[in-house]
Amino acid sequence: MEFATHTPETVQSGLLRKTDRSNGGGKLELVCGIFQAPMSKTKLFPVTVVGSWPRPAWLVQALRKRQNGEITQAEFNQIADDAVLASIKYQEDAGVDIVTDGEVRRDNFYSFVTEKLSGIKLMKLSELMDYVKDRAGFEEILRASDVPSFAIKSPIAIDKVTERGDAGISLDEFDFLKSHTTRQTKIPLPGPYLLTRSAWFEGLSDKAYPTREDLAKDVVQILRKEVLALKKRGCDFIQFDEPSLTQVVYGDEAEQTFMCAALGTHRDPSEELDFAVRLMNETVAGIDGVRFGVHICRGNWSRKEDVLLKGNYGPLLPSLMRMNIHQLVLEMATPRAGEIEVFKEFKNQKELGLGVANPRTDNIEDPQAIVQRVRRLLEFYDADKIFLNPDCGFGTFAERCVNTPEIAYKKLWSISRAAEILRKES
Amino acid sequence: MAKAEVELNGLRPAKIREILDSMRDNPDVLTAVTGPWKSRVVWQKGFKAKAYMRQHAVQMDEPEGLDAQDTAASAHEQLLSAMGSCLSVGFVLNATMRGVQIHDLEIALEGNFDNILKWAGHSKDGNPGYPTVKAKCYVRADADDKTLQAIWKAAVDGSPVVQTVARPTNIVTEFERVGA
Repeated sequence: MEFATHTPETVQSGLLRKTDRSNGGGKLELVCGIFQAPMSKTKLFPVTVVGSWPRPAWLVQALRKRQNGEITQAEFNQIADDAVLASIKYQEDAGVDIVTDGEVRRDNFYSFVTEKLSGIKLMKLSELMDYVKDRAGFEEILRASDVPSFAIKSPIAIDKVTERGDAGISLDEFDFLKSHTTRQTKIPLPGPYLLTRSAWFEGLSDKAYPTREDLAKDVVQILRKEVLALKKRGCDFIQFDEPSLTQVVYGDEAEQTFMCAALGTHRDPSEELDFAVRLMNETVAGIDGVRFGVHICRGNWSRKEDVLLKGNYGPLLPSLMRMNIHQLVLEMATPRAGEIEVFKEFKNQKELGLGVANPRTDNIEDPQAIVQRVRRLLEFYDADKIFLNPDCGFGTFAERCVNTPEIAYKKLWSISRAAEILRKES
Repeated sequence: MAKAEVELNGLRPAKIREILDSMRDNPDVLTAVTGPWKSRVVWQKGFKAKAYMRQHAVQMDEPEGLDAQDTAASAHEQLLSAMGSCLSVGFVLNATMRGVQIHDLEIALEGNFDNILKWAGHSKDGNPGYPTVKAKCYVRADADDKTLQAIWKAAVDGSPVVQTVARPTNIVTEFERVGA
């Protein structure tokens, strides 16, 4: 069995070529390899990714330079283009049907908005400590999670939040992705609840937004505009990342936490869930023609399973069913996520993006083991409601990627083989 | 035209090198740096005290659980902080002298008392202090792991505070009653 390895050199040497968009654009030119047709809409068990791809060291260095103002956004994009192309190539070679750009231009899955929106500033927890009321509590969280405070960054609303330009939050990312693949496309966006919860910070945000609800109105409007623009451009799948909902349900029981969620003020869990459902439904209200998903996991910042949150999706499912979205993109490959039977009560109400590979381990999941797991779900779930994906991204945080591109590729390859077996059985 | 001084990590490496060399070459500098270093701690009220060091002052208190007001960290916590701060200084010094750019540096320390009952007057045995102190360094810097580990080792081995805590230190105590 031979697996692909893609580096900037292989990308630039001709395996993949950047589209010259100044000449009207074009599609990915695959100089060698098999050019596959776009996924049929009716294909069962579509394989997709949750979003992020491991960042090579040279990209992280470039990201740091951009953040320090040592290179321009345009210079960074030139460098990042190669990383995106490599990410796409890995996904396509592995048989992924719905691809992302690997989120490699982003610092992480939600804080990148600070570069796209004005009035919102990326702040390190070490900078926020003077404003945190329960510092002792945060110290416990940092220790339990084994992370330094400088590694936790959150976008904080410090003024009225507005778009910086015409590129929206992800439109430039999407345009590049779309012009370099013929597969279906997915864009992950930070969910409205996550953005609101993490960005409203007492002492810093209340001048522009007296309450968190005030900020939520602007967040919803910005995301709605983004969704409409992505739909118009032909995006197939928009995934809202809402991992902090795990914190809502399990945060009080665990020392470990999502920093992005724990930073924000929060109320009773049921009120928080209602708030999250309302924001999501306001964001997608009346918009059809694009698949909406919500991704929720229990943490992807460390390879130490014991520092990540745990608990099944049961307490969240009633609220998730009230969200007007098509798919739940969930982690299920780790025992921390609980048993698959928890979905029995809500069978077929939503598509399930089933996590069947752990992005944080070196071992490659056996396709037959993945098949066995899906068969258990098929006992009470329809095949056309099941998508297959890893539990989370392979590089949620640019500087704390949880795996290498080679292993990520092999894991996706296994998922694709499992999907092929399942399709033959169906 | 004067040559512009190059800064690294907020320090001037050439100037630091000059100071380090003068400690070796100039006995007066070495004497001044060697000490004595002084602190005067003045009791205020309850468990509160204030420490005065040169022109600086640091407040000390104890947690509310000890019927104190918790207006400041307690002395043993400040000992941990002193160790961490000293390690931070040593890390930055050693990194700068090796030309390594540091972006972020954080040191997390912790310890458990061996037998705090001795402090409470319930026991005559054991050590009321920390038998072990853990110190974990998190760093984001432009150097390979091997270089950074060497810098960390130099910081630990060269830390006056950490090495004071790590070795048996001769504490000379005196007592004097003042007034009636």
